[in-house]
Amino acid sequence: MSSRPKVVPMRRPKGTEAAAALAAPAVEAARKDGLLVAIARAIEAGRHGITWENLAALWSAAYFSWHSEEVDEFGRDAKFTETIRPLLEFLYTVWWRVEPAGVESVPAEGPALVVANHSGVLPWDGAMITLALRHEHPARRECRMLALDMFALLPFLAPALARTGAVRASQENGERLLRAGELVGVFPEGVKGIGKRYRERYRLARFGRGGFVRLALRTSAPIVPCAVVGAEEIHPVLAKANWVGRPLGLPYFPITPTFPLLGPLGVVPLPTKWSIDFADPIPTAEFGPPAADDPILVNRLSEQVRSTVQRMIDGRLARRRSVWFG
Amino acid sequence: MARIALTGTASLLGGRLLRRLAETKGAARLLVVDVAAPPAALDVRHRAVDLTEPAADQRLLDVFREEEVESVLHFAFYTGPRRDAAHAHELESIGTLAVLAAAAAAGVGRVVMRSFTAVYGARGQNPAFLTEDRPLQPDPSLAWARDKLEAEQHAASFSRRYPDLRIAVLRFAPLLGPRVHAFYTRILDRRVVPVLMGYDPLVQMLHPDDALAAAEAAVDRPAAGAFNVVPSRPIPLLTALHLAGKIPVPVPHPVAYPAADLMWAAGVGEAPGRFCDYVRFPFVADGERARRELGFAPRHASRDALMAYLAYRHPHARLSEAEATA
Repeated sequence: MSSRPKVVPMRRPKGTEAAAALAAPAVEAARKDGLLVAIARAIEAGRHGITWENLAALWSAAYFSWHSEEVDEFGRDAKFTETIRPLLEFLYTVWWRVEPAGVESVPAEGPALVVANHSGVLPWDGAMITLALRHEHPARRECRMLALDMFALLPFLAPALARTGAVRASQENGERLLRAGELVGVFPEGVKGIGKRYRERYRLARFGRGGFVRLALRTSAPIVPCAVVGAEEIHPVLAKANWVGRPLGLPYFPITPTFPLLGPLGVVPLPTKWSIDFADPIPTAEFGPPAADDPILVNRLSEQVRSTVQRMIDGRLARRRSVWFG
Repeated sequence: MARIALTGTASLLGGRLLRRLAETKGAARLLVVDVAAPPAALDVRHRAVDLTEPAADQRLLDVFREEEVESVLHFAFYTGPRRDAAHAHELESIGTLAVLAAAAAAGVGRVVMRSFTAVYGARGQNPAFLTEDRPLQPDPSLAWARDKLEAEQHAASFSRRYPDLRIAVLRFAPLLGPRVHAFYTRILDRRVVPVLMGYDPLVQMLHPDDALAAAEAAVDRPAAGAFNVVPSRPIPLLTALHLAGKIPVPVPHPVAYPAADLMWAAGVGEAPGRFCDYVRFPFVADGERARRELGFAPRHASRDALMAYLAYRHPHARLSEAEATA
């Protein structure tokens, strides 16, 4: 083995093995200087052969160009949220032309529970509610969405949701967020709501078993009913092929006019006109935390919230002339 | 003289605890009950007892009585899966039973036992922070976790029957830092690290200094029950790998589980397939109770533990960085 190949394989010559064992300096430099510098460095270094060190430095720089090095305790990544913000803002202002109303009824500070109808196959409605509150609320409130198990467990979607601030829906998580004074968004309809067929649109499904009311009572957080109109038409579900979904671990497999017919294009939502209405908050502090164990009261409040949301939806629908232009 | 008995002093944590207590309490007050002798330089009394032998409890009882043992620090547990599962079971489950039975019979007033946050089981349904009252549900097919679960069940049962034992179970997050050698550090030492495609859970990595501080606090405080000993912040798995300059290779999970099982069966893998759960789903625990009742506050975040490990494992990397900045 006297002649060395021209391109050094993924391994350094023996002598410098120790120095090459870990690329901490290169990786560290790549992280600090950003992606472009890392690419330039890799090209420069590439003339002397590709090494694991270059590769790792490049990969690391690429990763940290759109992820931050720290996340909050629930996994929200400020830089990642910033990275995908343009896409969400495009959807908000251009694609769906979201028209929020009554955002000021969300308390400017302290915990509150935003309760909305769920629809649209993919959790776009949650992203839009978050955006509406971040952009239109005077206090620029950040709303943490409680995501369905189905999304919180799905590969790719689960980490993406967590990095953008969504948290898996559970009493423990909701309680922790509310006790920390956060604004929390929840969809009590759950899977029944998001997987609604087109002909069932805007008819609210049962609001779970009132878990969200118990959550609000236990933390004395006011409940803000919220109605999203427009999201129920973005993916009109004509039928559900459960025999496809079940082996994939999905609670349903939607068949829409574009999916799975057009393949990946079918994931593009239809450009309907959206409105997001917030109603006046329903205070829960007067009942006290022990009231969370009173099923009659829980059910009454749950029904009150549900009818408020349904009323707001019906009002909007009555005024709406077109699905596309509002 | 009333003594403190330690088991598992050949482990990193047990060994460090032994040294620390020899400094703070004096070597004369310590007693090592282990098959392996402690370092001669420490000048600590040693009684060789094999926890896996059938009459271990009687032997332990004699030793505890003769040496007037007042506290038992039980750290004889394996951090990684063993190929000789029967031996691990004898040591961890049955051995713990023997230690607790002997301690109860000898009238010992304090037991501190090592456990693992992994015993909660990694599950998609886990809350963002597991508290100590959460039921322990590790995967039943995982012998490693099952033995720890049984040890915990023995501890819980003895706590009920003998409240005077004041058993504190410390559930440590996975250790990472100087001198840590475990099956997961062997995976981490490679340049290319397999990860599960589409999954990026938050992970906790505990610095051994913090683990030692918690164990030390538990020796002196009277609080009984289970305590999570966790770092101050979790970190997403991929962020950790990129910070370490690794090249993560995504493997689809339907392939990863059988592939890991196959490699484990062939004798080249580091862990059985079910361990993939721990890089797929979160098992992040809440350290609030240890803070409140043991007065233990971690000084390191998961990221610090990772950095400390890398600096220990690759001291030259830091050296060349110092050169670069010089």
